[in-house]
Amino acid sequence: MILAVYKIFIREWKRILTLPVHYVVLLVVPVIICTIYALIYNNKFAQDLPVAVWDESHSPLSRQFTFMLEETESIHFTRQVNSYAEIESLMKKGEILAAIHFPPGMDNDIKSRHPTTVTLYANAASLVTSKLIYKDAAQVIITAGSGVILQKFVKKGMPSGQAMSLVLPVNLHSWVLYNPRYDYQAYLVPGLIAVALQMMIIMVAILTLNYERNTGTMEELREQAGGSASVVIMGKSLAHLSVAWVNYLLVTCIMFPIFANGLLATNWPLFVMYTLLAIACIGVGMLVSSIFNDVMLACDIGLFYTSPAFVFSGFTFPRWGMPWFDQYYAQLMPFTPFLDSLFKVYFMKLPLLYCYKEMGHLLIFIVLTFPVAIIVFQRRLNKLAVQHA
Amino acid sequence: MPDFFSHIGRVFLRELKLIASDHSLTLTLLLAPLIYAFFYGSIYQYKVEEQVLLGVVDEDNTDLSRTFVEQVGNLQITKLVRAANMEDAQKSMYYGDTQGFLFLPKGMEKNLLGLKQADVVLVVNGARFLPSSELAMGITNIGMAVGAGVRLKYNQMQGNNNEIAMRETMPVNFDYRPVYNTRSSYGGFLLPGLLALILQQTLLIGLAESVALDRQRKHLGQVIGMAGNSLSTALWGKSLFYFILFCGYAAFFMTVNYRTLDIPFRGHPLDVSIAFVLFILTLIPMGFTLGTLFKGQLLTAQLMVFSTYPFFLLSGLAWPYDSLPRGMQLLSSLLPTTPFLKIYIAIVQSGAGLGDNMVSVVHLLLLWVFYVSLALWRLSFLRRKEAGLS
Repeated sequence: MILAVYKIFIREWKRILTLPVHYVVLLVVPVIICTIYALIYNNKFAQDLPVAVWDESHSPLSRQFTFMLEETESIHFTRQVNSYAEIESLMKKGEILAAIHFPPGMDNDIKSRHPTTVTLYANAASLVTSKLIYKDAAQVIITAGSGVILQKFVKKGMPSGQAMSLVLPVNLHSWVLYNPRYDYQAYLVPGLIAVALQMMIIMVAILTLNYERNTGTMEELREQAGGSASVVIMGKSLAHLSVAWVNYLLVTCIMFPIFANGLLATNWPLFVMYTLLAIACIGVGMLVSSIFNDVMLACDIGLFYTSPAFVFSGFTFPRWGMPWFDQYYAQLMPFTPFLDSLFKVYFMKLPLLYCYKEMGHLLIFIVLTFPVAIIVFQRRLNKLAVQHA
Repeated sequence: MPDFFSHIGRVFLRELKLIASDHSLTLTLLLAPLIYAFFYGSIYQYKVEEQVLLGVVDEDNTDLSRTFVEQVGNLQITKLVRAANMEDAQKSMYYGDTQGFLFLPKGMEKNLLGLKQADVVLVVNGARFLPSSELAMGITNIGMAVGAGVRLKYNQMQGNNNEIAMRETMPVNFDYRPVYNTRSSYGGFLLPGLLALILQQTLLIGLAESVALDRQRKHLGQVIGMAGNSLSTALWGKSLFYFILFCGYAAFFMTVNYRTLDIPFRGHPLDVSIAFVLFILTLIPMGFTLGTLFKGQLLTAQLMVFSTYPFFLLSGLAWPYDSLPRGMQLLSSLLPTTPFLKIYIAIVQSGAGLGDNMVSVVHLLLLWVFYVSLALWRLSFLRRKEAGLS
């Protein structure tokens, strides 16, 4: 049996290297897709976003605030405006993403114990940029405001330590772990690459059995496997798993060192979870391939099944924010548990112990799909044998 | 002229028969856009994320610390989970049961009452972008509010009346006004673009598959023959059904989906209609060209599915165009999605007119000319190739 599995394994590798529907998807697309994803976010942070200043104060303090805001990573003042209508018009044209307003008499108000309000208008239709600008602007204005309070207390003769405790009575120490600077490349690219890899594995695995009919090699396959569906599926699955490992090496040993300054090949928990994902995806593909003779129909099913994986997995928008039926649907895709484990083993560098739920979830896919695929395909092979007899 | 219409009509009818007879084309063109629009749209129907699980370790356990925790629990974004100690809270985060934890050390109330700073620790899992940033933002605001409350009390104790004490509490206020998506919701931001992307991808995949199928069957010469040997008649005759169908989808999405998903529409219907017509007219030759690059329908379907995410990420909606590296900016500029989303989002979200984004309109028109030329060139090349082979 081992020899027969080995023969099918070698035969499948030959098919992978010669059939365009196999090698283009498994060996050419990963290089292109990974490079594009890594390059899109190569700048890591969105910097110097166009912002307008509406300064009705024309005071040293407003100029000081403007200078401090300009020093931040995301804000770059490109326009000076004189009304809200002008802000709206420039936002509609896409020329600015936000605007800061300093009210008239701001300095005098502060000196004469009248509170003043600095306003940030941000185009939240562009959510990513508006949040970045808000974060930087809030930090500057709140810090500057705290400085004003501190000065007032110190001027009244209060010791600076005590004054500080009144400026910031609750000293909130915020620790953003695992991606403290909100680096988009570090956050998005691993998930995007992982979802692309699972799509590639499934989109090819769904053609492993039924495409034999298109190439007229089903009988030859049956003979080589001694009529055993389990030998066929085992041999083919091992071949596809080895291709998945090749792509894993491509990502961890080539792409990551180039774009993320790091070699990931030694992250064994990640390797284990990726292997489970690959086997689960191959299982799903084999199941579809064994049930549907029509390769185009199988391909459509694969397309419909794999393409929503990224959004349903909760990578960008958390699953708990989705309606219940979408949350259940997300569980039907192997990428969902893999993503949860990716957060743990890749970002948080945790051991596999913390991924037992995800491992169990992926094992369910494996345990359910392969036996059914073997049973269905065995019936097909038996029919073929009867026809030939 | 009558010949032109009769040729277009013949190619159009042939395309109808082709789509009706091929289940993959039927599924991609007639079913997928509607299913995807409702299916994907439903994910973001609540628009904002709520009830992010946050661990709380309250070692102080005083009235003040409990009030602080209560304030945090009242935030829409949080759902608190009590933890016995830091280790428990940490483990809970490691298992993915919470997205972070809040630690209030012993002596918080005592410090505050003694006019000393009280330390509070917030740990959030930055590996998940959206919840961690929302949590940090919400809890920082509560920290600021509590601080203001303490100062107000102090100012009152100094003999200031309520009004003066209030003024002294926050001399500089920061007012954040998100415009066009006032709740700063993820759904509000993504849904309009997502619907346009569904329209684009189903059109590109369907049309590219159809052209690749004709190429696979070596029927492109036959199509051109039916079009009176005119390449442009063949192109537009074959594409007419797609144009009508996807204009219909656009109208459906802008009315039914916008209403069911409660997406605000601030622009003028005529502006958005013109934008969609230009977009679909540009996508058609692009899809046609892509289809001519593949030898078979199966490979086309397999490969086109991988274009969805790159096209979206390059479009400038998820990541600012100016923050893309130069090479990627060039690639982004070659996609009709880039100028279209700029025009479309400005119209639907901020109520802009076509005139506000004239540069993008011209960009889209130039892409139309570019892709029409490319499609005609590919068609002519393949005709010669087919003729040579036969």
